[in-house]
Amino acid sequence: MIVSRWLTRPFKARMRGSAAWFEDRTGATELLHKGLYEAVPKKGGWAYALGSATLALILLQLFSGIFLLLDYVPSVTDAFTSLDYLRTSDGFGAWVRGLHLWGSYTLIFVIGLHMVRTFLSASYKRPRELNWVTGALLFFLVLGLAITGAMLPWDQAAYWTTVVVTNIPHYLPFIGDGIRTLWRGGEFVGPITLTRTFAIHIWVLPFLMFSLIGAHLYLLRRHGEFGAWVNYSTDPNEDEEKQIGERIRRAEPPYPTKRIARRYSAPRETVPFFPDQLIKDVVMSAVLIAVIFVMGLISGAPLDEPSNPATLSYVPTPEWFFLPLDQFLVVAPTNPLIAIGVFGVLGIGAALMIFLPFIDRSPERRPLRRPEVIIPALFMAFTVIVFAILGISRLYNL
Amino acid sequence: MKKMSRREVLIRGTGLGMGLIGVMLSVPAVGFLLSPLFTKQKLTWITVGPIDEVPVNQPTAMIAEVPVGTGYPTPPVKRIVYVVKKRDGPTLALSNICTHMQCDVHWDPSLGNFLCPCHGGLYDIDGNNTGGPPPQPLAQWVHRTHTDAQGRTILEIQNQLDEHI
Repeated sequence: MIVSRWLTRPFKARMRGSAAWFEDRTGATELLHKGLYEAVPKKGGWAYALGSATLALILLQLFSGIFLLLDYVPSVTDAFTSLDYLRTSDGFGAWVRGLHLWGSYTLIFVIGLHMVRTFLSASYKRPRELNWVTGALLFFLVLGLAITGAMLPWDQAAYWTTVVVTNIPHYLPFIGDGIRTLWRGGEFVGPITLTRTFAIHIWVLPFLMFSLIGAHLYLLRRHGEFGAWVNYSTDPNEDEEKQIGERIRRAEPPYPTKRIARRYSAPRETVPFFPDQLIKDVVMSAVLIAVIFVMGLISGAPLDEPSNPATLSYVPTPEWFFLPLDQFLVVAPTNPLIAIGVFGVLGIGAALMIFLPFIDRSPERRPLRRPEVIIPALFMAFTVIVFAILGISRLYNL
Repeated sequence: MKKMSRREVLIRGTGLGMGLIGVMLSVPAVGFLLSPLFTKQKLTWITVGPIDEVPVNQPTAMIAEVPVGTGYPTPPVKRIVYVVKKRDGPTLALSNICTHMQCDVHWDPSLGNFLCPCHGGLYDIDGNNTGGPPPQPLAQWVHRTHTDAQGRTILEIQNQLDEHI
């Protein structure tokens, strides 16, 4: 009865009716509307596109990773062979693997830039402290995914990366050897090492990652995009208090948030996320993915000789993002008592990074007026770069 | 005892039920996760070969097919045994696993040392750590020798080291 009545109506009315029914049952349009028309700061949109580009690249890793699973076998006897087959015989397989590798390189680079941007603009300050904390944890998860991913091909490069990386916990006092054994599935690298690393790479870390991404995006939408201090300037010729009061009155949701420094409650000028910001997001992601697309094809992903623990001439070299830590291994004392201090220094560095919003609590956002955090950060960046340069000169005899 | 309200019983029951599920599921999960700590490596003896030809004071790399001894059965992997003969003292069967990060060290005749390519660790001919980051000497394979029917000295190793590294 209902179907025949529906069919006798004109086509357009039928479609309208169906759309209204779907909207009533799901609220999809309303949700989409809410997502698309939120106010974002007008100035600096290209810099904010680094965040969405990070998300786009993570999704690219998810999809290219799923495709790699179509061929890859996580076993010490077959991992290399399956990727060798993928490289030589399986059509576009080598390209997909190239996308996954260059995607990971680009992702590390872009998430780093995104962090530098939020750091310089002090976007992590009240009320967005937890946006930073979740983001910093995501940064470490990306590094964890990159290093576990480098172990999976089980060629020479992957094998020696596995040996060295899984041996790092050995220097952790008391529990270190236990952690090493659990990761390796025995005292030395063996078949279980690969299956465990594989499980960490494709389930454990991505599961944590997507949970944190959910939290990160929810918090972004809860407090609104901070943008940068340039969006909060006032006209020096007029009464500042009045200007800010005016701005907060006019602010669109989710601005302003309560109980924060009034000056930074709401940006002076905003634009709707769609289409003003989204076009920049899409262009940024498209450019980055184009680079990956080309590099994935022309450079691809290398595959060494099959793993061989009885080698006298192979010189293992770490992935570029692992160079500073590798050089740190050269200079770090291995005495068990000092090792506590070494892990302590690394741990404090990571903790300072994660808990930055709780250390730098002043309302000041302009970078030049925050030397107390900018200078230590520059020092940390400088240390990492020096270690990278020392590592390169040691390994490549420059 | 105070009589609990219906609401209180329901809340406590919910908590108890969730706790019970948690405990039931964590016993096998945690046990499985920690099992490598309690699983013994399967030890085997491997014949490396005759060592009569090994020159004195010149570490010589021999290759042995060593079973991993952990995890599901996999083919043995090739490993290096550095046989070091001395004019006086016992013959050594050094592993070439660096005690720093477990990379493969090799004998460098020009240095007169074992050199690790990863982080530049150095060991002397007896395997004592002499430079770079390694915290302890090279370990030896657990080994023994016997004389075969032709009168040759045959080296055998076990798939374990004599020191914890």
